[in-house]
Amino acid sequence: MESKIGVESLAVPGFSADVQALWAVVRREWTIFIRYPSWIIALFIWPVIFPMGYILTARALSGIDGSGLTTFENTTGLTEYVGYIAVGTMIWMWQNIVLWAVGYSLRNEQMRGTLESNWLSPTWRFAYLLGSSIPQLASMFMLMLVSGLEYAFLFKVDFSGSLWLTLLVILAAIPSVYGLGFAFASVVITLKEANAFVFLVRGIVMVFCGITYPLAILPKWMQSVSQWLPQTYIIHAVRTAALSTEGFSGIAFDLKMLVIFGIIWLAFGYLLFNMMERRARQTGAIGQY
Amino acid sequence: MTDFAIEARQLVKMFPARPGTGDKKANGESATTPRRRRWPFARKEPKAMFTAVNGVDLQIERGEIFGLLGPNGAGKSTTIRMLCTLLEPTSGTAHVNGFDIVRQANGVRRSLGTLLAGERSIYWKLTGRENLEYFAALYHIPQAVAKQRVDELIERMELKDRANELVEKYSTGMRQRIAIAKALLARPPILLLDEPTLGLDPQAARNLRELIAQLKQEGHTILLTTHYMEEADQLSDRIGIIDTGKVIALDTPEGLKRRIDQREIIRLELTGWHDEIADKLKSIAGIENITTHQQGEADLWEVNMQAQNSRAALPRIVEHISGNGTRLVNMNIVKPSLEDVFIHLTGKALRD
Amino acid sequence: MQPQTLSQPTLLSHLRALYALIRKDWKQYWRYPLNAVSSVFQPLIWIAPVYFMGQAFSVNGKAIGFSQYSGTTDFMSFILLGTVLESFINAVFWGMGYALKNDMDSGVMESNWLTPIPRLLILVGHSVTNLIVTAITSVGMLLIGGLIFGFNTSGDVWKAFLPIIPMMLGLYGFGFAFAAVVMLMREANTLVDVSSFLVQIFSGSNFPVNALPRFLLPVALALPLTYGLDAVRAHLIGTKTILPLQWEMILLVVFMFVMLWIGTAAFKSLERRVRTLGTLGQH
Repeated sequence: MESKIGVESLAVPGFSADVQALWAVVRREWTIFIRYPSWIIALFIWPVIFPMGYILTARALSGIDGSGLTTFENTTGLTEYVGYIAVGTMIWMWQNIVLWAVGYSLRNEQMRGTLESNWLSPTWRFAYLLGSSIPQLASMFMLMLVSGLEYAFLFKVDFSGSLWLTLLVILAAIPSVYGLGFAFASVVITLKEANAFVFLVRGIVMVFCGITYPLAILPKWMQSVSQWLPQTYIIHAVRTAALSTEGFSGIAFDLKMLVIFGIIWLAFGYLLFNMMERRARQTGAIGQY
Repeated sequence: MTDFAIEARQLVKMFPARPGTGDKKANGESATTPRRRRWPFARKEPKAMFTAVNGVDLQIERGEIFGLLGPNGAGKSTTIRMLCTLLEPTSGTAHVNGFDIVRQANGVRRSLGTLLAGERSIYWKLTGRENLEYFAALYHIPQAVAKQRVDELIERMELKDRANELVEKYSTGMRQRIAIAKALLARPPILLLDEPTLGLDPQAARNLRELIAQLKQEGHTILLTTHYMEEADQLSDRIGIIDTGKVIALDTPEGLKRRIDQREIIRLELTGWHDEIADKLKSIAGIENITTHQQGEADLWEVNMQAQNSRAALPRIVEHISGNGTRLVNMNIVKPSLEDVFIHLTGKALRD
Repeated sequence: MQPQTLSQPTLLSHLRALYALIRKDWKQYWRYPLNAVSSVFQPLIWIAPVYFMGQAFSVNGKAIGFSQYSGTTDFMSFILLGTVLESFINAVFWGMGYALKNDMDSGVMESNWLTPIPRLLILVGHSVTNLIVTAITSVGMLLIGGLIFGFNTSGDVWKAFLPIIPMMLGLYGFGFAFAAVVMLMREANTLVDVSSFLVQIFSGSNFPVNALPRFLLPVALALPLTYGLDAVRAHLIGTKTILPLQWEMILLVVFMFVMLWIGTAAFKSLERRVRTLGTLGQH
């Protein structure tokens, strides 16, 4: 934009500028993240102790002579319940963390008062959401890697599946998981108090997606609800990919569903973001606490 | 022994210094000598301490309003907190209503009504009335008396039609009024008001000052801290000025003003100023410290000077500035204010 | 000419002050109604995956593997009782843990400490409200959970109060100490989160502790809450106990006295520190 009087702006808009801005947001988020010493606990301790409750309960349920295992084995084809449960709880943790971290990223900025200053810069605004997700995604990868190692060596989980297939499933899962997070971020800005929503969503995932049990156990009506939740497919696919030897054919259907869900949720998240942004420009909500 | 409402003797309060600040006296000077090389068996170095209050003496008479003034960091709020038993002194003693602040803390608390941190000191998720009823119970006020007292105070604070609404819905002024009512609940002989009019609009502040004056009429002793000079001047019977942890002046407002060498300030506003006029003015007996200050971009100047006898000097001043294109627009003789006294004594403004 | 004070301290006025403290916390709690609703329904959501997992490990609908460790096939009654204890553990770690810190952060701590009541009474007030409110939401949760998942008691319900009383008193005594610790920390969230969770797991809320691998068993056995829950379950649903019941009762009573003493001492130590250093982390 040229101005007739005096000062020449240093800003050069364009795609590379947006990428640069994105990278700046990523660096900022990472810097802030590692300044809280509790990240070590989040990374190393929680992934291990969180499933422990369920795993130990399953251990008790199996009985001293393993007689409780028969039904489980018949339904899932596995006797390896530790890995089974660990995978389910990990996916739940992932969605939970994304809801809080990404979902509240804009709101936290708003409360800190820095949202406005970010908003005033001439950058593609969706970049802020994307930007805060990338370091989050990076730390999730690290989390899953560390947890995987911990389960393999500490819990002696038999990962007889394929690492690459597992990775493929995670990649396919990203759009759904983060799309939901983006949708949330927009809702949270408008509602300001969305804790109840987070509890609701993660509660639904906890109840319907089979985090600690095979879907076949659920009553029919609950199984139909599960079909509509992407997390169900993520959990099933990761289990198949990591713990069984079924190979690609075992996860093909799940991958297809995840691609569809991914597109839907990303689109939905982007749509909600734009709606929120337009509304905020009208009401001036960005600067409000 | 005379019976003072509040009596403090050589109150001292030291805090462990935050790392990196080292030993400092309250005026900022370093109190440690440069570090020597440590011997392997040397005794552990004593912890660095910061002295917030460095020997405060106070004697507040019953029934008087005593104003405590001081810049930020002077030790004012630390002194207050010691007197109301929130903080224990490092050394020194104090008695409030005859009770020792360390050994008879509960006696002190029963005798004091306090207003600290205004609107944050009450519960926002309770109504005004519920707040007062709650605190009444904590002050051991018998139930029947408490109910009557709460009604009385709500009426007095003009909150009758909002008393049953949550405090979070009140304006700042209303919250302050609940906080004051809370201070008055047990009808304490001594009131401690910390910056009571801070954040209030002028009308509300004025009402509050009237209330404070009324409370004195009713026999309460009031210890007041404030940033507002005019308020301290208007309300206080006596004023204590505290700086760098010590009381550096204690007198009536008039007495303090008289300290500033009986100077008056003559303030002129004129156009067409020439620097030679300043030399001529300086030659007048009793005129000193001439300062000039251009107002904005127009040809309007403010000239201040200190005079020992303004009446005698005036005719000579007018003589020197007439003619030569200089025109007198306005002239004022200004009495030194408490602010001037303060600056004279501490070298700082009250609000820095 | 000096005004006459209205303050007349007596034993009765101290009791009235305690009552005022409880009432104040009570009113404030119910003015955030969503929290209460969440306290009833959140635990039920967390139970769901455990319920289905139980189904996945049952043979012909019976938790036979489970009964080998616990002495009962009634898995869900076992779990529901454990969930009640989890609610209390949460309430003490989070509610009591932050009781003093919240007072300080909101600004009301000073006004309360300026009143002529013993400051420990303030903490007692917080505990009583916390206990009553958690009891109410737990009963609600138990009733609804019973409808959904099934809850059956055999044995004498009233006898169950024998271990409950010392266990709760001990737990809240711990709460006092924890409140003091949280006050001293700048950022206590992680500590509260992790320790609350670990205590819930190792006290046997979700499984009989004898199912633990050998090297983890001592952790569970070191927690007094383990014996309390064990005794309550024995009375209500007839499970096998870790130690004979009388021994568990004695342990609980000792726990109660020890914890009440530690809690009071910790609070007094905190109070001394605040009096010397001022309100910690004054903003």
